[in-house]
Amino acid sequence: MKRAVIVIVVFASLLLTVASVQGVPRMELPETEFNFGYAPQNSKVSYVFWIHSTGDDTLLIKKVVPG
Amino acid sequence: MLAVGDSTQLEIIFSTKRYTSRITKTPRIETNVGPPHKNVRITTQVVRRPDSTYPVIIKPYKLDISQFGEKVRDQMKFTITNVSEQDLDLSMVYFPTDLVDVSLPASVSAGKSAEGVLRLKEPALSMSLEKSFTFQLNDADGSRFTVPIKRTIKNPSNIKKPGVKTKAGK
Repeated sequence: MKRAVIVIVVFASLLLTVASVQGVPRMELPETEFNFGYAPQNSKVSYVFWIHSTGDDTLLIKKVVPG
Repeated sequence: MLAVGDSTQLEIIFSTKRYTSRITKTPRIETNVGPPHKNVRITTQVVRRPDSTYPVIIKPYKLDISQFGEKVRDQMKFTITNVSEQDLDLSMVYFPTDLVDVSLPASVSAGKSAEGVLRLKEPALSMSLEKSFTFQLNDADGSRFTVPIKRTIKNPSNIKKPGVKTKAGK
């Protein structure tokens, strides 16, 4: 019984350690707005936004949903 | 996937279609950071008559630098006419630096015209593209204008690079 408790405690502390070592992803957008001003009809205009991964874990961009 | 410390570009393309007013779009970026997801916001004033804008008129208002033959088209001129009564300074806001160079006149006097030049960079010579550049005026409203750039290539494999002679050309 005592041995089982020790194993559980060790396993729990191991889980806590892993959780604390795993980082948190974070996305930074230096710029979030862009104004094209006047643009003609029936054409395509484009602008590039920068995305920085500034967290402690890999940033996964799943999808971009048109607004 | 973006490793810690890395950066990437997110290109937002807006098709102006037959809109006739001020349009705002807010694309949402979904990541493993989780909700609430972040948005970017773009705003455009779509004009139905680009040949009669104020305080400047750009001709042509769309730069179509398509290439259907062997002759390389790598630059195109455009004219900016100041139709206001005030001298205007121009400043570039955005252009796709990896694909094109844009020479913009620094200023246009009231009632006068000035010329600008769009030049394609090496990577753009062999590809079809739809991009744009945006400039701003120093008028009271800080008016901005975006000029679409379009390039279509019929047969990219036949495109000769400038300055490179083929055997047939010797």
